[in-house]
Amino acid sequence: MNPLVAILAQSKPSFWLPAPVSNFAGPVDWDFYFVYWVSIFFLVLITALLAIFMWKYRAPKGAHAQSHNDHHLLLEVVWTGIPLILSLMMFWYGYRGYVAMQTPPADGISIVAEAQKWAWNFSYASNGANVPGMSDDFNAVRAKVRSGEFTSEQAAAEEDKILEKAGLHVPMGVPIDITVMAADVLHSFYIPAFRVKKDCVPGRTGKLWFIANEAGIYDLFCAEYCGQGHSWMHTKVVVHETVEEFEKWLEIAGSYDETLPFDENGKIVWKRRGCISCHSIDGTKKVGPSWKGLFGSMRKFISIGTPGELIADEAYIEDSIRFPMNRVADGYPPQMPVVKLTDKEILWVTEYIKSLGQNSGGTENPRKEN
Amino acid sequence: MSQPEMDAQSDAEIPSEPHVVAPEEHTGPSYLTVTKTIASWAFTLDHKRIGVMYLIGVLFMFLLGGVFALLLRTELFSPLALITPLFADTAEAQADLYNKWFTTHGAIMVFLVIIPGVPAALGNFVLPLLLGAKDVAFPRLNLGSFYLWVIGAIFFIYVLFSGGLDTGWTFYTPYSAESGTAVIPALVGVFILGFSSIFTGLNFIVTIHKMRPRGMTWFKMPLFLWATYSTAVMQVLATPVLGITLLLLILERTLGIGIFDPRNGGDPVLFQHFFWFYSHPAVYIMIVPPMGIVSELIAVHSHKRIFGYTYIAFSSVAIAIFSFLVWGHHMFISGQSTTMNIIFSGITFSVGIPSAIKVFNWIATMYKGAISLNTAMLYGLSFIFLFTIGGLTGLFCAVLSIDTHIHDTYFVVAHFHYVMMGSGLIAFIGGLHHWWPKITGKMFSEFLGRIACGLVFIGFNLTFIPQFVMGSLGMPRRYYTYADKFLGYHQLSTIGSYIMAVGFFLIAYYLIQSLASGKKAPRNPWGGNSLEWHTTSPPPLLNFHDVPDATDPYDFEHLEYNPSTGNYDTQELARASE
Repeated sequence: MNPLVAILAQSKPSFWLPAPVSNFAGPVDWDFYFVYWVSIFFLVLITALLAIFMWKYRAPKGAHAQSHNDHHLLLEVVWTGIPLILSLMMFWYGYRGYVAMQTPPADGISIVAEAQKWAWNFSYASNGANVPGMSDDFNAVRAKVRSGEFTSEQAAAEEDKILEKAGLHVPMGVPIDITVMAADVLHSFYIPAFRVKKDCVPGRTGKLWFIANEAGIYDLFCAEYCGQGHSWMHTKVVVHETVEEFEKWLEIAGSYDETLPFDENGKIVWKRRGCISCHSIDGTKKVGPSWKGLFGSMRKFISIGTPGELIADEAYIEDSIRFPMNRVADGYPPQMPVVKLTDKEILWVTEYIKSLGQNSGGTENPRKEN
Repeated sequence: MSQPEMDAQSDAEIPSEPHVVAPEEHTGPSYLTVTKTIASWAFTLDHKRIGVMYLIGVLFMFLLGGVFALLLRTELFSPLALITPLFADTAEAQADLYNKWFTTHGAIMVFLVIIPGVPAALGNFVLPLLLGAKDVAFPRLNLGSFYLWVIGAIFFIYVLFSGGLDTGWTFYTPYSAESGTAVIPALVGVFILGFSSIFTGLNFIVTIHKMRPRGMTWFKMPLFLWATYSTAVMQVLATPVLGITLLLLILERTLGIGIFDPRNGGDPVLFQHFFWFYSHPAVYIMIVPPMGIVSELIAVHSHKRIFGYTYIAFSSVAIAIFSFLVWGHHMFISGQSTTMNIIFSGITFSVGIPSAIKVFNWIATMYKGAISLNTAMLYGLSFIFLFTIGGLTGLFCAVLSIDTHIHDTYFVVAHFHYVMMGSGLIAFIGGLHHWWPKITGKMFSEFLGRIACGLVFIGFNLTFIPQFVMGSLGMPRRYYTYADKFLGYHQLSTIGSYIMAVGFFLIAYYLIQSLASGKKAPRNPWGGNSLEWHTTSPPPLLNFHDVPDATDPYDFEHLEYNPSTGNYDTQELARASE
């Protein structure tokens, strides 16, 4: 690493910038201070010239100028050329830094950050854990600090408690791949300490990545105006010291409360394990068939090129989850991935599908209606 | 033959002072006194009266937009609800109210104040005078532009009284497609204002092409004309794109046509492309005419020929051309492709170069000049300082890696206020002081003028420098409440805005006072030599008593100050009176 970058990368907040705690913070700050010192130089130069000239050449009314020189080619070349060269350098540094931000390494931990009015939600690809941002809880803590109900220690303790089951958690020193999405309007995923930002655009996915350099808790803001709750839509990023610590947290965050009814846990599975992105629960046709009224209905499918039909019972559903390419629902693309659910998760999901209505037929199976 | 030699030769062919008789010797009604009925103002075709009406309208809207600015700065003095509870009960309604305030502030200041401010208000008054013409090319169209502006303004006032607007002045979809506030009236208002702007631009293009006086070739025009010409081209080419975009947004809201709203298969980023294709050139519509004013202010009040005339003229044209090629830099983090971001970043730097050229040429103009530190000149100097900061901080935003961090933060807010207000509006106020004697025929208090300029300058910097710091520390923009660590910066900023407000009220006070009791303005109080200083203050209805020939606008050598009249006479006249 460039020694200057190393000096700047000491993780203390400066007058201008927050503590640099990601792999991008050092280079971005270097670029920032390059532009900054160039700007300071020109600002001082221009201000000094203005001040000197307005003092030295101030004159009473009616005085005539001492010089009539109104052009100087060399000067024009100099003050066109120098800004041009400096601009090209700035462009180059910005380009270099930006391309690095756009080029994630292949072995990152994948997390989906979904924004909606006015909350964040984070899903972890490795075990499907689905963790909310809990903006409201953080706002409540903030309010209690301001009203004097909490000291800063109490607030920190309360935030730690909220963060056990909330916020964006990442391990230190490992590339993190974030996919950003939005459910309703524009939002923007912004972690100042990491110098990363990406708009969450409904109907599109955005990508960003980073490596966190230092364990700690940092702010995550929504940076794109999204209406009433825009300024309340913030949460925290927790950087864990080690991957093991992170995985321990993730396992707990991804675990189920087994005292809940089966169908309720099934709904959590539907969200956590990503079934939600292709299977609706209200009859809407997405990439896969809707789960509404699916259980017990007659299913038409293509099995290795041969059409067939079967009633969707427990066995049919389990088989479809474990071996999705065995029977591809008629009229749908063969795109379902193999999601390795546990036996319990399959049981809960099946109960959840049952709870969404049985034998209601519908467009999926016209024969049943006859 | 080299360019300067050619200039010198053609200079010799044009008499630098065409008047034998001093315009003061002509007496007769001015454009202000020639008729006195309300109808004679309402249906006037005189560009000066239309300019004055624009001026009154724009200044009123500036007051309105400023009140909203003060409201929101006051609210941000504390992260708790401070003054919104006076108007709304629930926390949700209070947040909504704040969102309406910043939206209204932005929309009024952009569409009703800064865009029409210099071209339509000052430009209307000054442009035909600079050309030695009786009026603009299409006086009726000019009046039409003004009434379109009035109708647009009425729509905005209707929006204020019908629940407000909370989309931000940018109308980003899909929020603007679903917001429950008065989006459609606001869009219609902006659409109409767009036509006002297009007609003014068209009028100015034709006027400058067809109505230059004998001897005024393109490169003998005052630089303000180059600036208004470049601006007019941008207005005519860019504004229709805004118009159609807003119409599509209206159709999106009413019919759900699915162009911008992803729920109907549309693309929100497409809206941003369309919007900024206009609104980036619009930034230059706001800044290039002020640059033209500053070129006049610096030269006239330094009593020295403008330095690097052709470079300043071409830099206006260059800015106008580049302005159409950089809109994508508003979308560096929107998810548009990496390649596009890189291209837009590269082109964006090209806008910095002509801006730098202008600044250095203005400073060189001052070198060995005879500088009168008049109020107008102080605004010119303030402009150079503030525009330097505005321009340099633009570099941070153009560098892709830095922009990723500072995009949508207060850093950007401070940056564009330095450009649009610190530069655009300050130059507008400077131009207002420069031409005030010509417009009203009255002199204002220079003493109060300098104090007010100082207050505005200090207040402005105190308002926006803390915003740079908190922005780069990570404070996102358009926040109704904020983390406690940003408290100190917000409070400094609010105090600054109050100081600035005091300055503006002081300006209003002494300008209004000058109308009632100001000294009568001489024909040429500052020693300018462009044609507007060759007619009486205020000018007669048809501007000039004799049709003037072109002068060299930057030749101040032959002007002699007459302390008894406060006028700068030509040497022939000075000799004659001895």
